[in-house]
Amino acid sequence: MYKGIGVSEGIGIGKALLIEEHSLEYTPKQVEDAAAEKTRFHDAVDVFCKNTQAQADTLRKSVGEKEAEIMLGHISIVQDPFLLGEVDKLIGEGQCAEAAFDSMCNMFIQIFSAADDDVTKQRAADVRDVRSGVLGILLGISEVKLSDAPAGTVICVKELTPSMIAEINKENISGILTETGSTTSHSAILARVLEIPAVMSVQDITKAAKNGDTVIVDGSKGTVIVSPDDEQLRCYNEKREKFMQEKKELEKFRGKPTVSADGTVYELVCNIGKPDDAAKALEFDGEGVGLFRTEFLFMDKTSVPTEEEQFKEYKKAAMILSGRPLIIRTLDIGGDKDIPCLGLAKEENPFMGFRAIRYCLKNRDLFRIQLRAILRASAFGNVSIMFPLITCVEEVREGKALVEELKAELKAEGIAYDENIKVGIMTETAAAGIIADLLAKESDFFSIGTNDLTGYTMAADRGNSDVSYLYSALQPSVLRMIRSIITAAREQNIPVGMCGEAAADPMMIPLLISFGLTEFSVSAPSVLRVRKCISAWTKQKADEAADHVLSLATEKEVRDYLKTV
Amino acid sequence: MVSKVLTVPNAQGFHMRPASVFAGAMAKYPCNVFINFNGNKYNAKSTLNLIAACMKCGSEIELVCDGDQEEAALAEGAKMIEDGFGE
Repeated sequence: MYKGIGVSEGIGIGKALLIEEHSLEYTPKQVEDAAAEKTRFHDAVDVFCKNTQAQADTLRKSVGEKEAEIMLGHISIVQDPFLLGEVDKLIGEGQCAEAAFDSMCNMFIQIFSAADDDVTKQRAADVRDVRSGVLGILLGISEVKLSDAPAGTVICVKELTPSMIAEINKENISGILTETGSTTSHSAILARVLEIPAVMSVQDITKAAKNGDTVIVDGSKGTVIVSPDDEQLRCYNEKREKFMQEKKELEKFRGKPTVSADGTVYELVCNIGKPDDAAKALEFDGEGVGLFRTEFLFMDKTSVPTEEEQFKEYKKAAMILSGRPLIIRTLDIGGDKDIPCLGLAKEENPFMGFRAIRYCLKNRDLFRIQLRAILRASAFGNVSIMFPLITCVEEVREGKALVEELKAELKAEGIAYDENIKVGIMTETAAAGIIADLLAKESDFFSIGTNDLTGYTMAADRGNSDVSYLYSALQPSVLRMIRSIITAAREQNIPVGMCGEAAADPMMIPLLISFGLTEFSVSAPSVLRVRKCISAWTKQKADEAADHVLSLATEKEVRDYLKTV
Repeated sequence: MVSKVLTVPNAQGFHMRPASVFAGAMAKYPCNVFINFNGNKYNAKSTLNLIAACMKCGSEIELVCDGDQEEAALAEGAKMIEDGFGE
């Protein structure tokens, strides 16, 4: 069995088709007739542009406008006046078209790869794609035509390029295996849109599999089996059937509201870490964003991001969601995370130390910049502010006072923002759970962060294998904490959501329905599953389960019981 | 030959979109257009050159136009940069 990164769910079983790259080798030679060689080169560029335009048109239909634009970018690269001029110059000096074009492309690939930002680095892949395309045409190589691949093909390739994807006929491709790439690669996004199981970054898979080998691709687990035995085949065929069946079941819930069996409507939103993930949330049918973590803005930065930079990112997410809810959590960092631009001091006990709202309230300049950026973005969508790690009422008051101060500032400057922006809090500490009634009077909404709430309530670090057995949201103490937070919110009539992993746990969902949760915020791929799970429960049945659970004394009893309901 | 010293104002600098829009706009002019930055000279009609230059937010650059319609090219180019490519 080989391991990689599962980037597109599902099981694919089929025959391996290796796409090899070595075919682009050529022998550099001196040319006598430079004019004819230039014509040969420009003809190849024209063919490349024509092919690429056709691929872009296919992609626009099969996937979407944005992906088609990547292909059009390749045309602008190959038509770059500087690149063409230099290639002509080299040909004029007697080089053949292949060598001239290759050396110019390699120059840019090297420059782009050496850049210190990811966006520029990605351009190297584009130039590489263009290089292969044009060289292939010059050398008269007929590439393996993916469009001609027979039904039941599993593609094995070092790097899957957008131009390859454009050739894919999804009916015939059972799976995709690559040696590079990860969940956020363009090709991964495309594989998900096309619903083809895919595992990326599988080491040496193009050596391990031979053309025609039977291959099993488990895109959900990120595993690959080459030449499986009969037992494995039988087992995976079954898994595949089951997956397809479940998927069909889940697809029935796409585009539908999130409703329990007795008609209560819930909000089902997603947790995201980058503005682009908002699009992913919608792709998976999320109804908005219940938690937008903002730490990404501060990671790998040499200086604190400016108000303008932050504003653009928040606005981007708000625009993608076009009016759907977007809850932005203010900076949630502490001494356990390495964020060089903030110069955080190492602490003895960072989880109980100078972090999150505590840090922000003491570093007002930093906090003001972020809050102003969020307020400005609120003019472009349905934006709310959420403070993390609240433990006492003063923190909420101080945070809200600052928000009001900044609103007045923006008003005086004539800058747009949402006057009615909601300000809520994460209830994720034992303290917040115990004074939830007091906090509910000061907040526009609650969001229960079960990951931290469990850790802080149980005083157990789940990363520590000696105590991680204590770390469970199904512990009677944690369940009581959750119930009292939800009850306090309902008594004040404010919305109460949950953005920890527990919100997507089928064992937890009936309890949350019974306690009165109003919003579930989950990872994007869980949306349909959670919607289906919620649809199976009535309040009465959920209450019965919850009443019984609250009578149980141990986590094990709770777990064993919930497995049976 | 005319020139102007400018500061890149937009957060992302000359990434793919601004670079190709800028190079496209400059390509309309018959004069040579280049950018001096960090001691190097870059062809401003080439998207690839502009990306390779790695001009970031806050980078100080010199936009130089030389030849026919140099004034018009400089005016349009400088305005595009000063406006942050409308980003």
